[in-house]
Amino acid sequence: MFDYKATSFALIIAGLLGAAISILLGFIWVPSLDPETTLGEEAFRIIYWHVSFAWCSFISFLMLFAGSLLWYLKNDEIGWRYFSTGSDMGLLFGFGVITSGPIWGLAAWGKPWDWGDLRLNSFALLTAVALFLVLARKSQQDNDENRDTLSIIGLFGFSLVPITAVATTYYNRRHPPIVIIKGDETGLPNEILFVLIFTFISFCFLFAGLSLLTDRINQLESKIEGHQRNIDSRWPN
Amino acid sequence: MDEGVLLEFEGLNVNRGSRNVLCDIDFQLKKGEVVALVGDNGSGKTTFIESCTGIVPFKKGVLLFHTRDDSRTVIRNSEGRKSNLPTIGLTLQNDGICGEETVEERLLTSLHMQTREVSNLQITNLLSDWGLDHRKSDRNSQLSGGLRRRLSVLSGLSPAIISSEPIVILLDEPSEGLDENARKLLINWVRALASKNHGIIIASHDKELISCADRIIKIQENGTITESNGSALGDFAKLPEFSNDIEPISMMSLVRWSTKMEFRNPIDTVGRLTPALIALLLTYSLTNNTNFNTLSNDILAPLILLPGFITCIIAPALINRFNEAECGKWWHVMLGVKLRPISSFLGASILLPLPLTYLSWFVLVGDNSGNHSDEVMKWLWLPALSLIDVAIAASALHFLVADLHRSNAASGSLLLIVLVWPFLELSNSLSVIMSSGMSFSLEMGSPLISCIIASLSSSIIWLVVIFLPDA
Repeated sequence: MFDYKATSFALIIAGLLGAAISILLGFIWVPSLDPETTLGEEAFRIIYWHVSFAWCSFISFLMLFAGSLLWYLKNDEIGWRYFSTGSDMGLLFGFGVITSGPIWGLAAWGKPWDWGDLRLNSFALLTAVALFLVLARKSQQDNDENRDTLSIIGLFGFSLVPITAVATTYYNRRHPPIVIIKGDETGLPNEILFVLIFTFISFCFLFAGLSLLTDRINQLESKIEGHQRNIDSRWPN
Repeated sequence: MDEGVLLEFEGLNVNRGSRNVLCDIDFQLKKGEVVALVGDNGSGKTTFIESCTGIVPFKKGVLLFHTRDDSRTVIRNSEGRKSNLPTIGLTLQNDGICGEETVEERLLTSLHMQTREVSNLQITNLLSDWGLDHRKSDRNSQLSGGLRRRLSVLSGLSPAIISSEPIVILLDEPSEGLDENARKLLINWVRALASKNHGIIIASHDKELISCADRIIKIQENGTITESNGSALGDFAKLPEFSNDIEPISMMSLVRWSTKMEFRNPIDTVGRLTPALIALLLTYSLTNNTNFNTLSNDILAPLILLPGFITCIIAPALINRFNEAECGKWWHVMLGVKLRPISSFLGASILLPLPLTYLSWFVLVGDNSGNHSDEVMKWLWLPALSLIDVAIAASALHFLVADLHRSNAASGSLLLIVLVWPFLELSNSLSVIMSSGMSFSLEMGSPLISCIIASLSSSIIWLVVIFLPDA
């Protein structure tokens, strides 16, 4: 039988170790960048975590979207599991993006937030939706009506992406966005690329371990709830 | 097809959480029949009643109503709501009455679901039969629990009184809190209405009330039902004679109802105005030493629009009114899919953004408008008017969150963050008007286009939020 607990813990530990090593590599091994680049001469080192957070939260939000759609269209229990795990992971990794982003922005551009940055704004909105969904799932009774409403809010979250895209594009016309990379630079140095991929793989381990664990916890909670309801209905026999 | 049937379930399965509350239920309510629903606490009686109204999602199965021409209309199936209910009488377990409305208004609202013309005399007659005529001008919040229950039961039964066609009446624990006389009256009215071919379903633990049923349905632990014959006991009450079978005014009834509630107790207006005015006065006083004319228009424009924007995003008081004693559930049953769009308009701050934006301009800029274009006063209404679209989108979002059972425990404000886009666009628009006056050019960045984009993005949010839940 598949051992969820051991597998998820192994993945989480591997992910955390990889993430820790990536910090060391990023600080010690990777050379500084040209001061001309607006990635920041030293501040760019947050990129490994920031980008990995962003990619993993992108996977989480896709999972949330797929889960919302599956529940909305078919009331599929698997869909609900994707939805629950996707919202938990989306919140965790999305929060990573919107905290590391402004830290980087402040150091590199001199301001923490840019309303003209489509990615940052989309992640912020989706993280807000994920936070809402996580809080609401915990505070509401788990029944089909609440699931319907929450899955609709999950889908609503995705309608925000094109709205944000249009709004940001329009906003940029009056408020030109911050240019991220100046000059002819088109690619990243090999060391940066290597650490970036290494960090992303580590974050994927972390993502997979946490997803397995969250899914298992959610399933067990639902099972306990079912047993409790059966006991309620049998009373006083 | 059975011509004597009013309502029908085919293979109904309803879940509450992981538990199958109603399982494989086939059921028919016939004309002139009284069905009592019995079962232990939590067995699913209320779920059964709510399933009859089509507001509960079905895991499997279908709810059908037989209409006047004896055709069958699918109200709901496992894919969702398919069509609106015909007129029914409904008494919810928690009354479904808002404390702000008067006794007379409650009954009138209920009757308006069946007909548009009801006279004062008819209302008085109905109320006096149930010993409520002396209370007709009182607010429901002033009634005792027993009197509220009487009113709720009367409101559930009375649509049948004025309907010449047989209708379905659903009563959830109607005798709960009623005294002996009122219970007898209820039984006699139920028997009398059944004799006029109306079909009645009663969920109850009350043995006396159950004894008036023709058929008893017991909901088992596993969600299935067993049937037995009832005693059909009870006298026939003399019912008032009405013949008002004229088209109902259900939608307008909600408009009238919500407007009356707001005039009587303007919690919505006050609740929106207070934070907006505080924001305005704080902006003014905390920047007391600042000459606003020296501020960039990009900063001043959002400050001017901010109070109006605040009124737009505050949760509508209508949600609290709907939450009171399941009042919103009653409206949901009566109006079906129409409820959401209407409520989003009724709950939105439509009147406040315009005057508040002008007030904000006078407070923050006042007479020192020399550095700004002369056209500002003439065109300030344009972004303020677009704020109304933002208000309607915000209201729809609040109503979506209100669908959750414990909506007061959900942080709906997180979803409102998206409205920052229309706000930024309107700020752009005002900033341009302030700097270079109004222009009707259709270039990106012009005031007109900014307002159109703000309104369009709000409308898209509104459309998504309104149509996804009932699609």
